[in-house]
Amino acid sequence: MEDVLNEICSSEDLKTFELRYNEEMCQGEVSSTTQFEYACFLVRSRYPADIQRGVVLLEELYKRPDETGKRDYVFYLAIGNARLKEYQLALNYVKGLLRIEPANRQVLELEKLIKKRMEKDAMKGAAIAGGAILGLGALVGLGVALAKKH
Amino acid sequence: MSGKVDLKVVMLGQISCGKTSVVERFIYNRFNNNYQNTIGAAFGARYLDVQGKRICLGLWDTAGSERYEAMSRIYYRDAKAAVICYDITNSKSLDRAKFWVSELQRSEESCKLYLCGTKLDVVQDDPHRRQVDYHDVNDYAEQICGKFFETSSKTGHNIEELFACIVEEYAEDNAEIIATLDKSTIILKEENKSKRCC
Repeated sequence: MEDVLNEICSSEDLKTFELRYNEEMCQGEVSSTTQFEYACFLVRSRYPADIQRGVVLLEELYKRPDETGKRDYVFYLAIGNARLKEYQLALNYVKGLLRIEPANRQVLELEKLIKKRMEKDAMKGAAIAGGAILGLGALVGLGVALAKKH
Repeated sequence: MSGKVDLKVVMLGQISCGKTSVVERFIYNRFNNNYQNTIGAAFGARYLDVQGKRICLGLWDTAGSERYEAMSRIYYRDAKAAVICYDITNSKSLDRAKFWVSELQRSEESCKLYLCGTKLDVVQDDPHRRQVDYHDVNDYAEQICGKFFETSSKTGHNIEELFACIVEEYAEDNAEIIATLDKSTIILKEENKSKRCC
């Protein structure tokens, strides 16, 4: 069912917010709201290049002085990085949020999701490595068998 | 929880009016006094029984912060029902609720509207704190063809009733969809019994 890491935005939505961002950019200054909206859609894009761009925009927002939305930026930074498989970085952002709001359910839920993804990817990696070892074993076995035959 | 959502419901309303508390009471039957701004939107789901069928109600709990106003559109898109919350002890929150009503009337015509006054327990403890009149909202609800409940997430008052009403009205209007759903477990047990009788 719904899962903040799997949520993918439609390309039309992304385009709408991209247009608004570009318009403001042409006028010389992008408001925090517009940049944040655009970044939120970018990190939920299906393309890693978009997600990467979203992360950069969020990092830039975070550095702006006097920002009331810092926790929001960090939350989406965690999502973006997790979707880029930068799990350790994502978990660091989560840790930062939990230091201030230890009981925040949304953040705890996100932490769980990131860890689950990490495990899944690790299992996949292990399966591939396991497969390679098995293949290698078979080759060696074959080699030994052939050697014995000769 | 796995499976698909049969009925999409969105929560809208002014910041800190108590949307998340309504969701927490309805889905987890719990209440937390500590306030924390919702980030973006949160999702929750619960199965309910209606007309002998089991229906999965999915709730999108949106952030009330202005920062997310433009984004909330993606959450109310295709919603079958909207629970528009306001805080009974804060008259400004009703204006915000009316803003969401007109927004939905404009872009989601088929979405049913449910007005939900929150924090009823506070005015029950201290009637002076009421800033929104019951009858005013009742009239307004009639005017927009919506339903209206005054609730308390702290005591649970009217929370079940609100969502039962949403599901029942949905079932009445969408008999063909309801027909495709699985039977609820209670009915299944009864059927087993009757089979044994024969």
